[in-house]
Amino acid sequence: MPLPLYYFLAITAVNVLLAWSLYLPYRVAHLHFITVANMAISGYSAAFLVMTLHVPFGWALLVGFALGALVGFIVSLFIGDAPTFAVVIVGFTFIYITRTVIENLKAVGGTMGIFGLPNIGGNPVTHRWVIIAILYGLLLVVGFLIHRFEHSRLGRAASAVFVDKDLAASLGIDIKKLGMLVQTASCTIAGGCGVLYGFIYKSFHLDFFTFALVGIAMTIIFVGGYATLWGSVVLAPILYGVPLLFPAAIQSWRIVIYGAALILVLVLKPEGFITRRFVYSIESFLSGNRKKRNTP
Amino acid sequence: MKKSLGILLAAALLFSIVGCQQPAPKEWTVPFLNSLTGAIASIGEYLEWGAERAAKEINDAGGIKGKPVKIVGVDTALDPQKGSVEMARLVKDSLVTLGPVPEPVIMAAMPIAVENGMMSITATTSLEYAQKFFPWTISWFPSTEDRLAPLVAAWGKQFPDMKKVVQFVEPYGPWPGMADAHAKGLSGLGITMLDKVEVPTDAVTFGPLVVKALNEKPDGIVFVTAADKAAKLIKELKSRGWKNMDHLLVFSSADAPELYATGAKDINGIEIYNYINPNLDSPRWNAFKQAYADAHNGQQPPSLSTNYYDAVYMIKEAIEKTGVTGSPSKLKAERKLIADYLQNVKGFHGIMFDWDMKDGIPTNKPTYIFKIEDGKKVLVQEVKG
Amino acid sequence: MQVFIAQVINGLSLGSIYVLLVTGFNLLLLVAMIIHFSYPQVVVFSMYITWVVLQATGNNLFLGILAGVVSSVVLNLVSAPLFQKVMKKRGEVDINSTMVLSMGIGMIITDVLSHTFNNGLPIAFPDSLSSSAPLLRIGLISVLTGQVWSLAVGIIAVSAFFLLLYRTRPGRAFRAIAEDPNGARLVGIPLLRTGLYSYALSGVLGGIIAVLLAMLLGTASPGLGEQVAHKVLAVSIIAGLGNLAGGLVVGLFLGILEAIVQGYISGSWSNAIAFVIMLVVILVRPRGLFGSKL
Repeated sequence: MPLPLYYFLAITAVNVLLAWSLYLPYRVAHLHFITVANMAISGYSAAFLVMTLHVPFGWALLVGFALGALVGFIVSLFIGDAPTFAVVIVGFTFIYITRTVIENLKAVGGTMGIFGLPNIGGNPVTHRWVIIAILYGLLLVVGFLIHRFEHSRLGRAASAVFVDKDLAASLGIDIKKLGMLVQTASCTIAGGCGVLYGFIYKSFHLDFFTFALVGIAMTIIFVGGYATLWGSVVLAPILYGVPLLFPAAIQSWRIVIYGAALILVLVLKPEGFITRRFVYSIESFLSGNRKKRNTP
Repeated sequence: MKKSLGILLAAALLFSIVGCQQPAPKEWTVPFLNSLTGAIASIGEYLEWGAERAAKEINDAGGIKGKPVKIVGVDTALDPQKGSVEMARLVKDSLVTLGPVPEPVIMAAMPIAVENGMMSITATTSLEYAQKFFPWTISWFPSTEDRLAPLVAAWGKQFPDMKKVVQFVEPYGPWPGMADAHAKGLSGLGITMLDKVEVPTDAVTFGPLVVKALNEKPDGIVFVTAADKAAKLIKELKSRGWKNMDHLLVFSSADAPELYATGAKDINGIEIYNYINPNLDSPRWNAFKQAYADAHNGQQPPSLSTNYYDAVYMIKEAIEKTGVTGSPSKLKAERKLIADYLQNVKGFHGIMFDWDMKDGIPTNKPTYIFKIEDGKKVLVQEVKG
Repeated sequence: MQVFIAQVINGLSLGSIYVLLVTGFNLLLLVAMIIHFSYPQVVVFSMYITWVVLQATGNNLFLGILAGVVSSVVLNLVSAPLFQKVMKKRGEVDINSTMVLSMGIGMIITDVLSHTFNNGLPIAFPDSLSSSAPLLRIGLISVLTGQVWSLAVGIIAVSAFFLLLYRTRPGRAFRAIAEDPNGARLVGIPLLRTGLYSYALSGVLGGIIAVLLAMLLGTASPGLGEQVAHKVLAVSIIAGLGNLAGGLVVGLFLGILEAIVQGYISGSWSNAIAFVIMLVVILVRPRGLFGSKL
């Protein structure tokens, strides 16, 4: 596989997963920025396990997922049904705490970072294929689970909470449990994502996990379409790939072009590119075709 | 059928021969992975300026082996995501690259250069970062501890009255390690190192930190922070009555235009250490200074502006001395030739001084301590390693 | 004791930055229902315009300040239709769309500043505006002119806008348009004119804040807005969205807290500790310490 394609595919997959990890809690109107902190916590933990304790990558990845789930679950006990803004503060807090702890922890390289993560499978080519396979396998699994969630009672309950929390509660929806579920799921995804992110680069640095990553994920969701998981799938490769194609003369104005494009999309299509109605129409079209094929 | 097959085979053979003997390109393209946008765009600009300046001089003198050299700026925007994919693109065809800049992008992109056996000269980071990627990069600086301890000790020796020193340290990359090296050097003189004062990366006011430091009653202060923060800390110190300006030492990474733009006359009298001497009187350096001033509204060239200037000349020397042709069919072998040469170059004529490399580490670069007077550096002493 | 007093004064100085920015942030929230996450970047832009005019006019303070205020008003008026367009429903705080939109605006501002002004280097304001000579110095205690002005104007601005918005007809009209445009129209409030006035008002405040920050900090850089944006949002949330008086108290408290942590514990832990305390507050009082005004 050509090297640029590998990095493009791998990083796009990470961005989609990160966006989904924000998308899930947003289904109940929570902006759960703690996911970036989760990436760092799980990523550094996995790197420590691999480099210092020589734990195999597979186990380290599972630990990353588990750690994300644990952090997400514990935090959700307190903020499962908190207002949106409280959840925002929690996210900021964890990002600051995580950065400060890692900065001061010599065991994980402190401000220098962690270098030289080993190749999975012993050589770079196998490493890349394993990473891609895991990432895209994860995309399929997580995407399937989110899709099933959205078409389930839980998904409908989440939509109700999004529109009117009080009304949803009066209809018998357990706001807290639902919040805990999506937050824990979101942190689990982010944890695994963090491990894979570092193994793409074979190194970890604090500046891999900054507020800028929050900005990227927010942009993917809100410009791609915040009402459906497909928005992230469509926008992540565009957001990452299109600026790479800019000619050199325009590169220096990339950020301005990016910001202007962001504003334009939000003004013209406030729900984002991929709206729920659009997805429903595609689904109806496909199911309509299936009905026709199945009809004798 | 047999005739067609024969023609096809002959064509394939012809193409393969032509492919093997693909001529070398008409110019030496040297990509430079740099942060041209984002938070350190101003630094990226003068790094690129230095590299372009070298390319211009080389081309005006006839190029490298008769072919012009072209520096191609590749913006990584301080983004590891962008840095990695750009490096992945470059390793396909590039003979050698410059950068990346800065450390987060180095961490993301250099493993790619290492895996593909391509030299990428990271001329702005510390040895502690660069050596993780040897032999596919070289370090512009010697070991932090070996160099900085005696350097800062030389500063301390100027002031027998200095008994206690405090450091302002920003937690970024190798800077805490540099602060430790400073402490080692000063402790060796019997100076008491007070607890470091940590400077948050997003600090906008510095009163609390300065009060904390001054409460310890230090005789001297060392600044291991970004340039603009060092300037603001110094201004704050002055406003609280600090008088002994030469008892303030700024480290080399803060010797940047932001220090002078933010500090203005408040930094007069402070001391600063660095690896280049702007007061050198040589035609080459004078021409560089003038050209920089012409392009930057009369400003003096920052110290880092010479790093990639020298790096481009190093590449020129490596190409000329190793017989590299630039032919795509010899890419792997010629990359190795360049890397091997640069790792152990002897007597390289930099813009400031000549130096040697041993296994990728410079062995005899001088260091200097300066005093700032009217926004200009005046040499106090040269410290040899 | 001297150290403690010095740190409290430092904290009030830092806190006054937060107060000024949160006041402008809350004002936009109250008159336009906008979460302008990049409001600090808008203020920094005005600081740069002030600097440009000062440079061009030989440090003419009046023209510099005027330019800062005018640029802030213009930027607010230009961005107003964009915010209005993306908000799904008037009368509700649409944090998400307006936050992302303001992020886009902030990105553009930061990049333009780093490209086109002073080669991306920090700018320094003249001594006539931002003198570092102290008004009062006793040992480690130091009080600068800029600090006094920032704190005083911050308190006056909060009081003045509180009175304007809650005790005057124009203020009630501003809030009415923000909360229920249709209802406002029904009672005869001219939407367009009043809406423009409300944006212009927050622009005027933004310009004043820019000048005060120039006095207080003495310098500005393209990334200055981003450095404080998270804290400004956090202070507003902790105080209670739109709560002007709450923003004043929490802003000053955060400044003092950061100063004390930096002074007595550790600089690198100041953000983490400050946010943990804010986290505890928000968990105990999810609508903010002083209650949201929306």
